[in-house]
Amino acid sequence: MPSRFFHQSRRSSRRGNPVHRYIRMKEHSTDRVVGYFGFPRRRILREARERFGSALPLVDLDVDLGAGDSLVLPATTCRIIANIVDNAVHLGPRLAAVVASVGEEKCDRGRHAAYLLARMGFTVIESRFPAEELEDRPLVYARARLPLREKIDRIMATVVDPAAPAQGPVSCSPTHGFWGVPPHDPRILDLFPETTHVYGWVRCVEAGRPSDVELECLVDEGVPTVFFTQSFCAKQDLAHHLAEKHRGLAIDCHREINDSILAKVEAFVRLS
Amino acid sequence: MKIADCGSTWTKILDLDSGALEIVTTKELVRRKDALYDVATGHCGRGRCKEYRNELIALAEGGLALVGDEDFSLVDVGGRDIKFVRFKGRKVEKLDWNLACGSTTGATLELLGGYYDIDFSALSPSDRWVNVTCGVFGMERVLEQISLGTSPEESIAMFLHGLVRNVIDFVGRPAHFYLSGGFCENPCFVRTAKRYSSVSPLGRTVLLEGLKKVLE
Repeated sequence: MPSRFFHQSRRSSRRGNPVHRYIRMKEHSTDRVVGYFGFPRRRILREARERFGSALPLVDLDVDLGAGDSLVLPATTCRIIANIVDNAVHLGPRLAAVVASVGEEKCDRGRHAAYLLARMGFTVIESRFPAEELEDRPLVYARARLPLREKIDRIMATVVDPAAPAQGPVSCSPTHGFWGVPPHDPRILDLFPETTHVYGWVRCVEAGRPSDVELECLVDEGVPTVFFTQSFCAKQDLAHHLAEKHRGLAIDCHREINDSILAKVEAFVRLS
Repeated sequence: MKIADCGSTWTKILDLDSGALEIVTTKELVRRKDALYDVATGHCGRGRCKEYRNELIALAEGGLALVGDEDFSLVDVGGRDIKFVRFKGRKVEKLDWNLACGSTTGATLELLGGYYDIDFSALSPSDRWVNVTCGVFGMERVLEQISLGTSPEESIAMFLHGLVRNVIDFVGRPAHFYLSGGFCENPCFVRTAKRYSSVSPLGRTVLLEGLKKVLE
């Protein structure tokens, strides 16, 4: 199984409160949490924590946390959006609030998920990233020599805590590229060498520019790149266009990665 | 030493010591309790070999072993998927593997052919085609054509024409390409493909050639 039961990472924010991207769903069954998805404005996230309890852990609802299918959404829904709703339904009353990224930095289906959760009785705080709040943060991890899974985890943790590490990782020239969003099943990331640079929405997150389509579509010419999307995600339009333009490999995957997809990426990484 | 390309519907087994090639249906292979090969590739090869090799890599290596061109496109049309590699200066320029949409089409064609007793060696190409979005949708179109009075032969040739169009689009509509897999032995497929591109069939053992190359 992917990360849902085994991979647990916890990172402290500057305030010292735990931020969970991966938790065990059956742990801390009486603890309340604040959920979020996408890249909400940090001020709104901070205010939500102050309102609902600064000590409450933050949980990234985009990630597969092992929740069962809530049957709220159609089967042909991007797994990230399905994770948001399934996780929220599974957490139920433990979820003090959901800070929902519903602007251009997310997608229509994220906005719809926020709408549905609010109608289901969850406390939903909407966030839209305004253009004047777009930043230009240095890319510490996207160009680093690190295992790709760790690189993306660290970038996504900057949504809550963007403070640069005291001693950052070593940067490197790219031998390969990974474009896209954090995958529902992260095993695909383990196929890439440490010299893989990160592009697409994940890079936008690290730069603090989550709705910047120009940056999202920027890749280094000549770097063999896998353009990854979840199936049924609108980003497939960009992935298809970019893969054709840069002779990369477009991959889409629903639910868990299968052997054929792993083999396809393995072949691309090895032969490119 | 025995090497095998265990595809979804057909398995190709080569004895490297004697040079004997055996081609069996995969439905027979999965019932063979002693089917264990030294090196294997293909969807059903995993678990039936001491050493497993990636099939797209085997296809690419096989293409390089069999084709001397500097620049060329190679496509393998299988029972459940389509694999494609384009070389420039004998380096991989682009590759892809159609795993979902359009998959199972080869197996679907065999199922349809078996049901309607089609002799593919005698089947004439059709000028018309049906959309083969996937095997199931394509089969629905064939059944619809037959219900409208089109002969089973013509309906299946239309399905095959739709499959050819998928393949040509998938490989980027090249002026010429090399074909790998069981469709090399289907004259209706090859003649239909020639409406769109120049085609050079390489036969069913390209992946085995790739495995040999990998073993060197």
